[in-house]
Parts: sequence; structure tokens; C-alpha cells
Amino acid sequence: MTHKLWMISTLIALLFSGCAQTAPALGGSNVNGANAITGETVSIDETSYGNGYNSSTDGFNSVYFNFGEYAIAPKMEATMKANIQRATSANAKIKIEGNCDEFGTDEYNYALGLKRAKAVKDAMVAQGIASANMVMVSFGESSPVCTEPSDGCYDRNRRVDMRLVK
Amino acid sequence: MRKLWLILIGMSLTFSAVFAVDATLKIEKDVEQRARIALVDGSSVQNSKAFDLFVSDLKISGHFLPDKKHYKGDIKTNFILPALKSQEYVLKYVMTHTSGSKLLVRLFKASDGTQVFKKSYALGGTAKMPFLVHKAVSDVNAILHYPDISWINRYIVYATYTRPGQSEVRLADYTFTYRKTIIRGGLNLFPKWADAKQRSVYYTSYREALPTLYKLDIYSGAKSKVVSSEGMLVCSDVSKDGSKMLLTMAPNGQADIYELSLATKAKKRVTKFKGIDVNGRYVNNEQQVLFVSNRLGYANVFKKSLNSAATSQVVYHGHNNNACDANGEKIVYASRESNNAFGGNTFNLYLTASNSSDTRPITTTGANQFPRFSTDGSVVFFLKQQGRGTSVGYINLSSFQSLLFPFNGNKIQSIDW
Repeated sequence: MTHKLWMISTLIALLFSGCAQTAPALGGSNVNGANAITGETVSIDETSYGNGYNSSTDGFNSVYFNFGEYAIAPKMEATMKANIQRATSANAKIKIEGNCDEFGTDEYNYALGLKRAKAVKDAMVAQGIASANMVMVSFGESSPVCTEPSDGCYDRNRRVDMRLVK
Repeated sequence: MRKLWLILIGMSLTFSAVFAVDATLKIEKDVEQRARIALVDGSSVQNSKAFDLFVSDLKISGHFLPDKKHYKGDIKTNFILPALKSQEYVLKYVMTHTSGSKLLVRLFKASDGTQVFKKSYALGGTAKMPFLVHKAVSDVNAILHYPDISWINRYIVYATYTRPGQSEVRLADYTFTYRKTIIRGGLNLFPKWADAKQRSVYYTSYREALPTLYKLDIYSGAKSKVVSSEGMLVCSDVSKDGSKMLLTMAPNGQADIYELSLATKAKKRVTKFKGIDVNGRYVNNEQQVLFVSNRLGYANVFKKSLNSAATSQVVYHGHNNNACDANGEKIVYASRESNNAFGGNTFNLYLTASNSSDTRPITTTGANQFPRFSTDGSVVFFLKQQGRGTSVGYINLSSFQSLLFPFNGNKIQSIDW
């Protein structure tokens, strides 16, 4: 009997202790706890400034590279010859753009694209084209010619494009 | 007698081989060291997204062992369900989405219902709801005097390709539940936080003839030109006080690492190599630079002092380690472990230190790339590609708790945390 009484008393005490705390209201005095991220961030529109082309123009031809390489392959000699001929009659600065396939990461892929552009520039300088008349930019993997997951497509993306600066 | 000795030696060798433990490869912290905690949702409309965020935050903290059952209950009382008495803590919460997002949390000791912590949070809109949960969990963590996890409150900034020659720069919370585009269109790449408070970002714009680095105040929209370079230009790291940065530039067609003083605009060439030097990171109190170079004929991780020419190899493992990050003396790098020309390559992440040769893997499957440390160096972010799926991953380096969040979106170009 005494045991039962103790149990009931304990249960009642527990029940009351559970109700002792009054519920806090939402939106109380400390609603600014998340201040760090309350500021509204901007959204800038630059849609009119994209790189609108992804192959050679102005009479130049793209130079293609093997996977992971930046040396001009012998099979590209005829293409380079034609490009050098076109460059000799160019009346504006020539832009040489290095490109990569999608199998690279981050900064390293952009550096690889640049090495390809430099290989083309060096070959042109060796044939008498003035270095000051050329400018190089690497686009890494950002400007693919095609996006299908096929070997042929990846081959076409590992390239150097050329055009005149307008 | 000799036979007995041989048997004893043999037995001891067998036992040591069987029961040896490589401390550097310990991958699971004793679960008993983490506080067991249950979540009780008192919201009138229960929201699994908020619950999932609570569970993720508690788990990746490395300090809690959250019960994955979504309990419903009244937040107004400190009554603890008998089923939850075996937990150490019970976190009750109410999330509402009328006129913005509001979150009320109350933390109780499970054993006796004593309230340990109570706080309410509010934001004007509903999009940033994940940040309310992150803030609440970091506060709960702090009130219990666990090591700081305020990194979960930070924005992630990343660039993603949208179509050839076009990209977007976006903000996200660490789970990528919240996402917002801050630069739409154009070709804007390599975003990097300019300051510890995450008010501004640096990014490379291809709007002009040459790659140009801009600084953008993400709150006011104020934009200023920092520097431009022929070839390529990337802001790879920013000093802690924001006064200097490491750039990968190629003014002469050679990708090298430079240090730029933002006060004087003076540029110092840090590396001079005819191949590829990229991915500079400050290490050892910003006296040295960690970087990726192909000076051995393949991509690998090196370091050099900012004030001397001596360069030393940091990683003696793998044959294609083309990305790295550093925090203090800790170094994480991505290593390509297969050599398929067309896809299907395995990339794993490894942890090492600038003052030690100890190296241990922290991933074992899939293509794991873009490793980035949290600001305190306790957690590593990475992007995991496995099969057709992409996930955002996190590994807590103390507890080795890991989390993966599905990432549905275009290919990520670069990321900063």
C-alpha cells in the first residue's frame, strides 16, 4: 500500500514538473539570432556578355590535340601551315584560344588549355608571325564544341581556336 | 624448450598481425563519445526538410549521434517521452513559414526534462530557412561547450556552367538546399571569398579581351576591377587579413603563381617554371605556398617559401594529383587512380600535412574532386561523381562522420567555402 502511494505521488510530481515551464512565444525578443545571413544579396545579369563562339573564325582552322597533351601532333601540320598563311595577311591582332575536354579539374585544366594555345603561338612565331600581334586566352573546358559523351566529341573539344580580335 | 620458445614467438607474431591497429587509418570515432540526441518536431505542419537538416547538422558536427526517427510532440512542455529517456538530449523545435521563416528551439536534458537552452530565430523570407536550422544547431553545439562548428553557417560560393561559354556564380548553404544565383550569364569563373565575413567575392570575368579579376560586394552590388592578365587568371587564395592574394597568372603564356598586394598592387612572381604551376594556397602562417605543378612530368603537390627559390615535393604518392587545399598545416589533395582517357576515372582524396609524410585516404570510391577545407580545417568538402549521380560530400576529420547530399545541377566549375 505504502509502495503504491509513493508511486502515485512520484507520478503526480513528475506530471507537474513537466507543466511548470510556460511556453515561449514565437518571435520573441531574440528573433535576430540569425543576423549573419539576414542581408539580401544581389543578382547581377550579364547574359549579354557570354563567349558566343566556340570554333575558329576569320579564315583560321582549329588545331586538335591528343588527350592530356599540349604538343602539336604531326597530323596537324597542314592545318598549322594554313593558319600561318592566314596570319601573314591578318590586318588585326590574332586571338589564340586554348580549350580542353571535360576530364580535368579546376585550374589545372585552364593551364593545360593555355599550354595548347602557347604551343600554337610558338609555332607561328617560329614561322615569322610577330609575337606582339597575337594574344592568348585559355577557356579550359568552358567552351565545348559538342557535349555528347563520345570519344569523337571529346577529340573535338581538345583544341585551339583562332580568330581576329575585333 | 626451444620448441616452446618458437611456439610462443610464433603465437605473439600471429596475434600482433591479427590485432594490429593502424591509428592513422582509424575511420570511426567511438560512438559513445558523441551525445545521443533526439528531435521532437512541434510544428503544426511537419516538415521533413527541416528535420533532415537538423539531423545532417548534428551528424556532421561530430559531437552528436542524432536519432533518425522524426518524433512529433508539443514544444510547450518539458515532458520527455519515455522512449527518449535513453537519449542524453532532446531538441524540440517549431518551424513556421508565415510571414518569413521562424524557428523556435528548446534543448532539454532527456533524463529529467531540464531546459538547457531556448532561442527563437527569424528571417524575412522562406528561401534561407536552412540557415535558421544551421544557426540553431551551431548555438546548441556552443551551449554544450563542444568545439566550434560555425562553419555550417557559412555561404558556399560556386560557379557552374550553364551552356558553352556561359556560366553562373551562385551562393548556397553547405547542404545546397538553399541556392541563389548572384551573377547570371556571361562567362564568370573561379569565385573566391574576399573576406572572412563573406561580404565580397573575387571572380574571373571573360567579358573583356583578357581574363579580368573583379571584386563584387554581394550585398551592395559594387564591383571593382582588380587585375587582368593574358592567358589565364585565377584568384587561388586570399590571406587571412584580406590584404594579399595568390594568383595563377600567365602574362607571358606561362601559368605561374604570383602574390598580389592589394594595397600597393605590387605583384611578386612566386614560381618560375616552364610547365604548369597552379592552385596556390597559403600554408605555415602564410610564409609558404602550396601548389600543383607538372615539374616531374605529371601533376603533383609542391611547396615553396615566398621568400626563397627552394621548392620541395609534398606528396610522394600517385601519378596525377591535380588539385589540393590547405588549412594551417593540413593538406588535402585529389589523386587520379585510374588512367582512362575517356571518363570512368577514380579520384580519391588524401589527407597529409606540410610537416609530416603521413598520408591517409579519406575517400575510397568514385570520382572525388574539388577538396576544400572548412574555415577551421575540421571538415573537408568535396564533389563526388559515382555512376551518373553527383553528390556534395563532407568528411569530419575528427569523427570521420561523412555526409553526402545529392547535387542536381549543371557541372560545377569551381567552388569556395
